[in-house]
Amino acid sequence: MATQPIAVPAELIAAPLAREQVGLWTDAWRRLRRNRLALVATVYLTLLILVALVAIVHTPYSTSHQGVAPTYASPSSAHPLGADASGRDILSRLMVGAQISLVVGLMTQAVVLAVGVPLGLIAGYFRGWIDTVLSFMISVFYGIPDILVAMILIVILGKPGLDKIIIAIAATRWMDMARLTRGQTLSLREREFIEASRASGARTAKILFGHLLPNALGPIIVQVTLGIPAAILFEAFLSFLGIGVPPPTPSWGSMAAEGIHSMRIAPHIVLAPAIALSLTLMAFNFLGDVLRDALDPRQKR
Amino acid sequence: MTAPLLEVKDLHTQFFTDDGVVHAVDGISFDLHEGESLGIVGESGSGKSMTALSIMGLVPEPGRVTRGEIRLRGHDMVRMRPEDVREIRGRDIAMIFQDPLSSLNPVLKNGFQIEEAMLAHRHLSRKQTGARAVELLKKVRVPAPAERVRDYPHQLSGGMRQRTMIAMGLANEPAILIADEPTTALDVTVQAQILELLRDLNQELNTSIIMITHNLGVVAGLCSRVIVMYAGQIVEQGPVEEIFGRPQHPYTWALLRSVPRVDAIQHERLRSIEGLPPDLISPPTGCRFHPRCPFRVDRCFRDEPPLETTSAGHTAACWVTMNRAYEEMGAGELLDVRPGAASGVHGAGARQVG
Repeated sequence: MATQPIAVPAELIAAPLAREQVGLWTDAWRRLRRNRLALVATVYLTLLILVALVAIVHTPYSTSHQGVAPTYASPSSAHPLGADASGRDILSRLMVGAQISLVVGLMTQAVVLAVGVPLGLIAGYFRGWIDTVLSFMISVFYGIPDILVAMILIVILGKPGLDKIIIAIAATRWMDMARLTRGQTLSLREREFIEASRASGARTAKILFGHLLPNALGPIIVQVTLGIPAAILFEAFLSFLGIGVPPPTPSWGSMAAEGIHSMRIAPHIVLAPAIALSLTLMAFNFLGDVLRDALDPRQKR
Repeated sequence: MTAPLLEVKDLHTQFFTDDGVVHAVDGISFDLHEGESLGIVGESGSGKSMTALSIMGLVPEPGRVTRGEIRLRGHDMVRMRPEDVREIRGRDIAMIFQDPLSSLNPVLKNGFQIEEAMLAHRHLSRKQTGARAVELLKKVRVPAPAERVRDYPHQLSGGMRQRTMIAMGLANEPAILIADEPTTALDVTVQAQILELLRDLNQELNTSIIMITHNLGVVAGLCSRVIVMYAGQIVEQGPVEEIFGRPQHPYTWALLRSVPRVDAIQHERLRSIEGLPPDLISPPTGCRFHPRCPFRVDRCFRDEPPLETTSAGHTAACWVTMNRAYEEMGAGELLDVRPGAASGVHGAGARQVG
């Protein structure tokens, strides 16, 4: 029997050798795609962002002009979500409201990141008196009710506006991030690779932001994703109370507050912003939960 | 002889704990010359790792160097500004650690980590550092280095990780490479490869190596001179063939005796050193080894023995010294217990001399 060389397909040989490069993000994206709920949330949030962007350049009607429709008008083809007590188009106002909510959510978290992460890194890495002072500050801020901090700040900062609201909300939220980053840093600083980077002569700033921070990024991202809906809700709450975004700029919170009086006769006025708010909060929370799982190193490898 | 590259004089490193002051390193002195490879041997807790961290200026809290000098090319690092010591770390003295997986940052690519080590001390473009990272991996014999730089540490095998660590250590062509148990976490075959690599780097690049280990075989294969530490002190130092051939301190002798031998008679029991390493908060009076020493005399309980020269370049801190024991009990019988020919210890040692 003649020995025939067996033809082995090239891909069979190559396959076990080629190691797959799976980075943090590739892996997170895969997990995201596998989870239906998170996918729906992602699609919803993408649409919301698009709507908010469109609202910058175009809304079906002016958001501040009164009487573009009959007051309390029910949904119709001209006004899909109807009109409010002043005869303003609710869809247009909802679109701009989405803008406000997203800007507040994202910008608040940007401020929280900029304040909480460096503070947490420094306190956790150096410990000693810096850590004592920061931990004390965190406890103090946790002790005062959020609404009180926000109201005091809004009053102190003067003339109400979006920037003031962002600062006020960030002032009630930075502790979460500082505490999380501090905790991560405390455990990471004892790891051998941090000692190794110290042994290679790395500067402190490089150790903090180049070696520690990338390892704490997963939990921080989750914290941000869950912090956005919290900030959005807080803004809606402040606007509902009338100390948020000044009229006539529409916010979902102030829209709901205006609609509450006519809930019996025209429920769509309060329902539209309430549903939009609920869906948005749910979408961010789902996304945060999935990211938490996806970025959890214990579930990998 | 030229001035030593590194001089350690009367170094004391202490930890101020709630239970008392721990004398981790207690008055040790030694020199390291250019291109030399020095082994520091001892049990866990003998102060060998703390010696290394003291040299690096990385003694962890609540410890610090309380006395002594560490002179690099004549400049005392103990009294330097922290920023100047940072400049020395990684540039003049590099260090590699025991577990290569936990010593590499898990979320950064291998190449990037090597580049970071370069950028800590030099202004180079990413293009230059990228090329040099590949070159360094090639030098430490990592196959397909151009691809490995794009891998994450968990994608490499243990040996490849330790090679990556060594490449990081060599990034700035340091004069001294301190290796703290670099092979302990690796397979035996990989251990041999890493040691061979270190030996070659020592010869090719003339990098001085301080090898810290509890493994006497490692020292025999790599080092030309050995320091034996016990309870924070140096008990014996000398050329490798002297230490292995005619140890002068009973601790060294016991340490050599406790190495398992392949050619040992089957039913023979493994000989361990009786007792435990001493408490470093209140160490024993006199010679610190006396509670465990089979050769002790009355004086050992009272007086601390100084390091005394027993033969050229060979010192030991012992009131008895094994020379007398060899005379009285017969050198043949006592020395037969060396971890000898079986592990190739002597062959390797002899090669170092020649």
